[in-house]
Amino acid sequence: MTRKKVKLAFIMNDSARKATFKKRKKGLMKKVNELSTLCGIDACAIIYSPYEAQPEVWPNNIGVQRVLAQFKRMPEMEQSKKMVNQESFIRQRITKANEHLKKQIKENREKEMTEVMYQCLTGKGSIANLILPDLNDLGGLVDQTIKDISRRIESLKKAAASKSVAAPPPPPLSPRPQQVTVGGSGSNSTNHDMMTRGLMMHTLEKRPVVDNMSGMGGMQRTQWFTDWMNNPSEQNLGLGPGYEMPQFVDNTNLVWPNHFFP
Amino acid sequence: MAKKPSLGRQKIKIAKIKIKNHLQVTFSKRRSGLFKKASELCTLCGVEIAIVVFSPAGKVFSFGHPKVESIIDRFLARSPHLTNSTSLHLVEAHRIASIPELNVQLTCMLNELEAEKKRSETLDEMRKASQSQFWWEAPIEDLNLHELQQLKDSMEELKKTVTVQANRLLTENSNSMSFFGTNNISTIRGGGVDYHEMKPAPINISSSSSAASHVPSYGYGYGHGLF
Repeated sequence: MTRKKVKLAFIMNDSARKATFKKRKKGLMKKVNELSTLCGIDACAIIYSPYEAQPEVWPNNIGVQRVLAQFKRMPEMEQSKKMVNQESFIRQRITKANEHLKKQIKENREKEMTEVMYQCLTGKGSIANLILPDLNDLGGLVDQTIKDISRRIESLKKAAASKSVAAPPPPPLSPRPQQVTVGGSGSNSTNHDMMTRGLMMHTLEKRPVVDNMSGMGGMQRTQWFTDWMNNPSEQNLGLGPGYEMPQFVDNTNLVWPNHFFP
Repeated sequence: MAKKPSLGRQKIKIAKIKIKNHLQVTFSKRRSGLFKKASELCTLCGVEIAIVVFSPAGKVFSFGHPKVESIIDRFLARSPHLTNSTSLHLVEAHRIASIPELNVQLTCMLNELEAEKKRSETLDEMRKASQSQFWWEAPIEDLNLHELQQLKDSMEELKKTVTVQANRLLTENSNSMSFFGTNNISTIRGGGVDYHEMKPAPINISSSSSAASHVPSYGYGYGHGLF
């Protein structure tokens, strides 16, 4: 089976055309057959060619007549509703292809914009060269990302909260409703534990990277702490700020200024 | 978000499909593919075809070149092609004459689609490469609380910078526009086969300044197009 791309136009070369016809006609008949068998439906195909006086048909003359009779029994409207000819069919294909194209272009633009966003984040890319519409889209993407991050932060904090609430009574061996709750949030809390451990790993790995980020400004970090302290959602922990933090801070001594935690 | 890759081509047994949903999906796809193959055969070899297919639901689909009805009549009558009235001939001839051009259009569109798909793959590779390098590019679910907070702050800084720049461009524009008049505003065309002219201005990812020389295809009436 050749995999050369064939140009969608009438084949001028007579012998090539005849050869193509023979192959493709055979393939077409096979496809009709498969469709009919796989889906258990009635179908027929009629092909008139300059090479044969009689048309080539599937399944056979009787079968075709039967299907055509069935076809003609249907109301005119039903017959023509899904009827296409070359022209209308190709138009349909063009419309569909256009839709796919639009979608793909949009998707690619989003991906490209994400690249730009991350590059600007690290100072590798400059926004000075962007035109206004691109800049607007970038702003939108940044907004959306901030929203997603905030949402994720909230859900993580909730998970931490439920873990800390469920933890106090040591769970008995036999499963009980409370156990289920712990189990329910347990997946989160396990994640939480992993995150804690992960953080310790991360910070070690990320050291040089974090220093990069500090290019954003040492003020940034202080800002972060003030914000965090003032963040009312932290109060959900019910234990005041600083409860969970010791776990985070344990083996890290580089991100937070030590004076923050007495 | 990356699309989940499909199962790809799989060998199936040629027997009636048992699961109704699969059957319907298969019918839909294969019918479409069948018509496509028939259409190609007509174009490539200049033959006349009719295909009639009944759906599992009982609806009937048909494809015909030049026309389903004429092929059916021809077959059933078993006599040479029935002559239509002259006017119908003309209409049909006109219709048939437009086919080669339509094929060209279709080919064009399919080529562009392929190009965009390749671009998509390239972009995905880029992301994968950066994700392995930089922790902040990882999907949000993979980040811990501290990382998330840090990322969020950086993002908010970026947002500020972007807003400042955008405002600056806006004021620059209004200045130049008020000077030269709003003569370059063009509406963005959507849809139709001319879509390929609508591609957004290519964004230069490197920090080179060549992007500034791209005349925006949106035609906002910036200074660029006027000098």
